[in-house]
Amino acid sequence: MTTTPTSDSARPVSGARAARLLAAKIPHAVLRRDEAYGEETVYVAREHIVEACTLLRDDPDGLYRLAVMVTAVDWPDREPDEPRFDIVYQLRSLQYNDWCRLVVQVTEDDAHVPTMEKVFAGMDWHERECFDLMGIIFDGHHGLKRILMPEDWEGHPLRKDYVSFGEPVAFTHNIEWALPAQERPPGMPGSAR
Amino acid sequence: MAAILPPSGPPPGLPPHEEDDPFAPARALLNVPTELDTVELVEIGQDTMELNMGPQHPSTHGVLRLVLELDGEVVRECRPDIGFLHTGFEKSFESHTYQQCIPLTDRMDYLAPPINNFGFSLAVEKLLGIDVPLRGQYIRVIMAELARLGSHLVWFGTHALDLGATTPFLYAWREREHILDINELVSGVRMMTSFIRVGGLMADVPDEFGPMVEQVVNTFPRRIDEYELLITKNPIWVERTRGLGVLTVEDCLQYGATGPVLRGSGIPYDLRKAQPYSSYDHFDFDIPIGSRGDVYDRYLCRMQEMRESVKIIRQAYKNLPGGPVNTSDRKVALPPRNEINTSMESLIHHFKLVTEGFRTPKGQVYHAVESPRGELGFYIVSDGGNTPYRCKVRAPSFSNLSALPHMVRGELIADVVAVIGSIDIVLGDVDR
Repeated sequence: MTTTPTSDSARPVSGARAARLLAAKIPHAVLRRDEAYGEETVYVAREHIVEACTLLRDDPDGLYRLAVMVTAVDWPDREPDEPRFDIVYQLRSLQYNDWCRLVVQVTEDDAHVPTMEKVFAGMDWHERECFDLMGIIFDGHHGLKRILMPEDWEGHPLRKDYVSFGEPVAFTHNIEWALPAQERPPGMPGSAR
Repeated sequence: MAAILPPSGPPPGLPPHEEDDPFAPARALLNVPTELDTVELVEIGQDTMELNMGPQHPSTHGVLRLVLELDGEVVRECRPDIGFLHTGFEKSFESHTYQQCIPLTDRMDYLAPPINNFGFSLAVEKLLGIDVPLRGQYIRVIMAELARLGSHLVWFGTHALDLGATTPFLYAWREREHILDINELVSGVRMMTSFIRVGGLMADVPDEFGPMVEQVVNTFPRRIDEYELLITKNPIWVERTRGLGVLTVEDCLQYGATGPVLRGSGIPYDLRKAQPYSSYDHFDFDIPIGSRGDVYDRYLCRMQEMRESVKIIRQAYKNLPGGPVNTSDRKVALPPRNEINTSMESLIHHFKLVTEGFRTPKGQVYHAVESPRGELGFYIVSDGGNTPYRCKVRAPSFSNLSALPHMVRGELIADVVAVIGSIDIVLGDVDR
């Protein structure tokens, strides 16, 4: 069988340029670098994320000027003292035809990051979406309110502890799981009434 | 002689007699000062009016609500209200196996479903480290470009309809029918095809595929000429669209606007050229760009893009290689039927894939494809299971729409319709 490699495999590592730039210019901001699947991820300290993005945007060796996205990943099963949320920033450089990924890690009790909307106007909506669905607070954002869910919605649906569906349906074989004893009608097995 | 009209009060000289006056309660109500009496008139230009446009307005292309702050007919501020179509696909992804996610991706950008399948499949394939055979890659390209044509036709028809031209709408639907027929032929479904799967395709294309594609390729350029004859130099069209909704290059980058919006502003950035995936580098095509970044330039870009798409389809079809369409990795793609009948191992693979799907290695990947609206990216985080741990869809319509307030500020309210049409949003893509 003939398989030609896709055009992807020949390409340089995405984000390597940004990682080198950050390590050279503001090494104190870079916590860790991680390369996998031809993509390099830079873990940045929270207090330096705005500085890092501004540098990537303005430095002539970077010019990551296109705001791609902000999102977050929830890791509730990590150790209690480890950060629960990974906040992922992606920027694109048209001049050097590259994109990069920066990650800021925050804990559940302190799920705050500084807003990026002063650096990229387009991050406004992405940050609102991230707040809406994941509950990350972007400090300094001009109007951090829900964008996709109704304004009076409770909870943040994309968190792992937010159960999406699975309304219990009571059958005789699963009655103990589906209905607490107090709620069972009289006559039903195990009814407390 | 009696008065025809009842007198407005008791006759002069007589005391009011309430029992005889049936209008007394009503009159008493009228004498109560209302809010209107306390309103102070302001000079024109001092005050603004808030107007809701949508979510049921036909020219908002779906359920988009715009809160417009108007000063006369001029838009001072525009606040889009989105989320009416939010379906929680990103949450649903987390409880579906990778192949089960494919039908979900169809329903996001519902005007170009194959391109959504394409982007998701490529991201998962990057995670798995597998390649699709050349024939599969070429057929994927053909299906994606047909979807792009179909999507641009819907944009063309509705955009023109919004601005008062009815004929293009009917023409565009006529041509789109042929593309939907091809979808039906290869996948059995006209819109939500789910034809592009992780590891390859749903199936190889049937023999009738060739002639049908050839017919589209042969007739389409003449059809585009027809459309352009109707619209491109039409003075009404040019008057309504030129210099309107201007987005400079800097604005595009700031808002993350991609696709024809970015190219209309003059940047020749197209992911099919810049970071070619699935053998796009085998084909010869151009990237049309505009110069002013207004509604008219975005229109020209998309019209030209349709011609380029036809060029790609023609080359891909002419050079369509033989061989399999799916990866040979049996841990990912279903084994062919005849193999299941003879090989126990294939039967096991089939069973495992259908019941629990495949597992991916741990890690995070991002893969972006050029959708008709711009950069459509899939960011997938895997924890080693058979479902995505987290899948974020970077929707082009979402970023493009966030630039709308900037584009319509200071324009007339009638032009808002033209600007919305020119950014070609799909609300399913915005809200996901």
